[in-house]
Amino acid sequence: MSFGAEFLRHPDLFPGRRSGETWGEGSVTLDVPGGPYRFSGLAAAQEEALRHRFGGLCRPAGTGGVEDATAAGTLVFRAPAADFLEIDTRGWEYALDLDPAPSSLRVAGLRLMARLDWAPALAGGLWTPEAAGEEWTSVCENYLRIVVAYRLLAADGVVLHSAGITDGASAWLLLGPSGAGKTTASRLCLAAGAEVLSDDLNAVVPGEGNRPLVARLPFTGDLGERQGRQGERETWPLRGLLRLRQGPREELSPLSPAAATAALAAASPYVNRDPFRREPLLAILEGLARAVPAWELTFSLEAGLWSILEGLAK
Amino acid sequence: MTAITASTVLRRRQDVRYRRIEDEAVVLRQSAAEVLVLNGVGASVLDLADGRRPVSAWIDALAEEYGADRETVSRDVLEFAGEAAAAGLLEPVPGIGEPG
Repeated sequence: MSFGAEFLRHPDLFPGRRSGETWGEGSVTLDVPGGPYRFSGLAAAQEEALRHRFGGLCRPAGTGGVEDATAAGTLVFRAPAADFLEIDTRGWEYALDLDPAPSSLRVAGLRLMARLDWAPALAGGLWTPEAAGEEWTSVCENYLRIVVAYRLLAADGVVLHSAGITDGASAWLLLGPSGAGKTTASRLCLAAGAEVLSDDLNAVVPGEGNRPLVARLPFTGDLGERQGRQGERETWPLRGLLRLRQGPREELSPLSPAAATAALAAASPYVNRDPFRREPLLAILEGLARAVPAWELTFSLEAGLWSILEGLAK
Repeated sequence: MTAITASTVLRRRQDVRYRRIEDEAVVLRQSAAEVLVLNGVGASVLDLADGRRPVSAWIDALAEEYGADRETVSRDVLEFAGEAAAAGLLEPVPGIGEPG
């Protein structure tokens, strides 16, 4: 299927540049790892919905001084609802359609079209018919996930499909695709007294001396919102990686650096489908795989999963 | 599907990217965000699949590198090359070394 055909009525009319009629004059800047990220051209209802969705991560544009000058800026444009195909989403697994090029990326999705251009600096355009409410924040969040993944990659970081678990001092990342057990494992750890950062997407960023740090992202799965309180710590030293498998009994086996790199690559959404960024991605992931221990963990629903992690830490 | 013989010339498909890590290789395919881990021999085969040398030259090189029996290496390499071609990692170079 050609790019956009799953979502758009006229994929051949996909915007070639950031232009169109914006929704309004509103603007919001989000403090999320790899950011800040600034959304402009917003209607008042869109701005309000973003503030409601992202809470303390939002601040008015222009209040961040030098930081705002480095923000990844996105202009939000109106798009007619008729430009998008009606999709029956019952039992449907949503996957955005990406069309990477050396210095741009086109994105098509549920009631959204977007493009990122890297010349001269990263700038985004987002076209949607969603004027407010959860439909709009859902469009925005799906787009933001992609921008964060690309911004972090450019900063030697990575977004990982993972459950992030912390004891308050450091963090584990449990890797796996949908259905591997990230949410189940998160619930088990939560019940045992650990904190869950997100059961879906977590960021790893280079810390002092390139030591990997886990950074909380405001993107969660079935477990729901895990956003920390304002001013609360938002990064933790990465203690280890576990590739999850559900099975009848607990089993733990070490992963080679190559196997760990492969598990990380499979868990790096969006950028792992971009042929123009695969070499830097693999280099970052290999560094990560060598920096911390990695295992494959087979676990059962009865497992004392958190005690296994605590045992590994000793 | 093309039968792979010692005279077949294969190359890595354009959408295949790989990185050698110690004695293994991590392979990414663009088409499916698919990630594979190959063992040392598989990694060496990817290195050798330059679209110029026939499979027989890989067999010679690997038999020497691993100090192994050529017949055994030949069987393993032909089997792996067939699997790698079926998995879309390798493809025959048109007009070179194809079985007649």
